[in-house]
Amino acid sequence: MWRRLKRLGVAKLLDGLVALPHDARSKEQLEWVADDIAAAGGETTMWIGQLASLADERAIVRELSETVAAEYRRVLSDADAAREVDEAARRRMLGRLRRELRRIRPRDYFPPPEAERARAAVEALAKLSEVRA
Amino acid sequence: MIWATRTGVHIDRAACAWLIRRFIDQDAVFVFVDDPSDVPAGATAFDMRGADLSHHREDCTFETMLKRYDLADPVLWDIARIVHEADLADERYDAPEAPGLDVLLRGLSMVRGDDEVLAISGPLFDGLYEYRSRATLLGREPS
Repeated sequence: MWRRLKRLGVAKLLDGLVALPHDARSKEQLEWVADDIAAAGGETTMWIGQLASLADERAIVRELSETVAAEYRRVLSDADAAREVDEAARRRMLGRLRRELRRIRPRDYFPPPEAERARAAVEALAKLSEVRA
Repeated sequence: MIWATRTGVHIDRAACAWLIRRFIDQDAVFVFVDDPSDVPAGATAFDMRGADLSHHREDCTFETMLKRYDLADPVLWDIARIVHEADLADERYDAPEAPGLDVLLRGLSMVRGDDEVLAISGPLFDGLYEYRSRATLLGREPS
């Protein structure tokens, strides 16, 4: 279950309490997880909540944003490393990193600056291959 | 038969509606509701919380439907692979077609109502079925 919640990009607020920005897709995905927990004998309730202060809301947004930023930083460092390897290895790495970016995107609700930098670094790899080819 | 599902149809529900009309109930009538409590009496609900024809464990509703109605056609299971990844993107299957289909359905649902989304996506799934049938027969992608 945690793996599925992690893939959805939830913010962990308290033990057993997670949050996602409210939209039709996130609500639906959480409902399926909730049903599976219930089917496994667990208990869940879903709330559509509103935070009382903007500061609290920003703290959650920061947490969500920081989690995906760490993922983008890993892409960035892999993209940097891929500049030093041979052409064939770099092409394989390019494919893997593009897939990795596609995986991150659906849970990137509040794109951090690293998002654009990671995309640019990966596309720069593609250019590097074109120039040398 | 009357079949009920949630409003704001997306990939899994569009694919299920196509499956129902083509393989299960050709006279199917679809109604769209906002809440499970709005499902009309006598209607069969699908892809909704509390409905049997819904997500189960790792399966999306399309896969549940194939199992419940004993549809063993390998082409349908091949389409299930694509629908599953377009809906859940959990990398259970390799389905490079999925992100494209997902975007097409998402965009369509932005400019058309649920009835029209089903009317337009039906022939799309007919085409996908034909394409994957040929691919299965040929053992390679058809030209």
